[in-house]
Amino acid sequence: MKKYKEFYIQHKDQLFGYLMRMTGDYYLAGDLMQESFKRHIEHYGDKEPQKTLLYTIARNAFFDHHRESKRSVKFDDNPGDRSNDGEHTILVRSEYQEVLTAMNELEPGEREILTLVISSDFSYREIASVVGISEANVKVKVHRARLALKKILTVGEK
Amino acid sequence: MDHLISMFIDNELNMEEKIKYIEMVHQDKSFKDKSIALLQLEQRLRSDVTDRVPEAVLPSEKRKPFSWLRPVGYMVPAAAVTAAILLFLLMPAKITTTPHRFVIHRPDVKKVEIAGSFTQWQKVPLKRVGTTGYWEITLELPHGEHQFSYIFEDRLRVADPTILTLEKDDFGGENSILRIGV
Repeated sequence: MKKYKEFYIQHKDQLFGYLMRMTGDYYLAGDLMQESFKRHIEHYGDKEPQKTLLYTIARNAFFDHHRESKRSVKFDDNPGDRSNDGEHTILVRSEYQEVLTAMNELEPGEREILTLVISSDFSYREIASVVGISEANVKVKVHRARLALKKILTVGEK
Repeated sequence: MDHLISMFIDNELNMEEKIKYIEMVHQDKSFKDKSIALLQLEQRLRSDVTDRVPEAVLPSEKRKPFSWLRPVGYMVPAAAVTAAILLFLLMPAKITTTPHRFVIHRPDVKKVEIAGSFTQWQKVPLKRVGTTGYWEITLELPHGEHQFSYIFEDRLRVADPTILTLEKDDFGGENSILRIGV
């Protein structure tokens, strides 16, 4: 358990960043992070914790939620309005709001690959194993996503 | 060859590709400008999304105190030995203990035992107090929180009826929570 707590402390910020960029929703990202660590420890808690496995679980938790909600993942321009709890005021940095809005315009596959690259420090090979595509495909998609995002942000700034 | 820019950003270039990338940056102005623009974008993308990350609640480690109910007799002694070794290795300092008397009234049974975190979940028999129907034992308990329950005639396990704080275990039973010195 002590070992797992260290694993949790080491990876929670990055994982939350990944889920935040995937969902654009502070509270949903928090719920999915909770669910990811819960599933990971319950199913694999007796083994050496693995980061790629954690992200695979987080990705599956995201898709499970997506399927259940049957809603497209949209970034709320003003997520603070969702909070009725003063203790949990929304904390998306104003500088990042625009990035999240732009990421929401990417193709889902591109958004996912780019989000993994940004948020995880994984190699292309590791990302290929998490997403289940070839390494060559990761290389192509990452670059395509960066170019698409740059284009969206450039248009937005004009 | 544009994808070399992303490979550069993501530290995915081999030696040959690094040479190629540097050559292109020097030879092709549009390639250099695109590289700088994408690096600036990356800097922005990798900045913190939020100022605060929420905490997840990790599920607690599952205790299996009554594994002796299963036909695996070696588990308890092995666990006890391991616990004793760990205790010896990890806790060289003197452990503060307090004697605690456990008493239960069960005139209808012939055998009463106690098992808890302080016995490494090994059963320890209680002594009958004359013909009163009471059973008792005094154990030296380390300070802290303990879980325990009584076992009657090797089959029926119950929590202490005089302690209101209970905790369910993984086998559908209940353990009493006892705090010593805290």
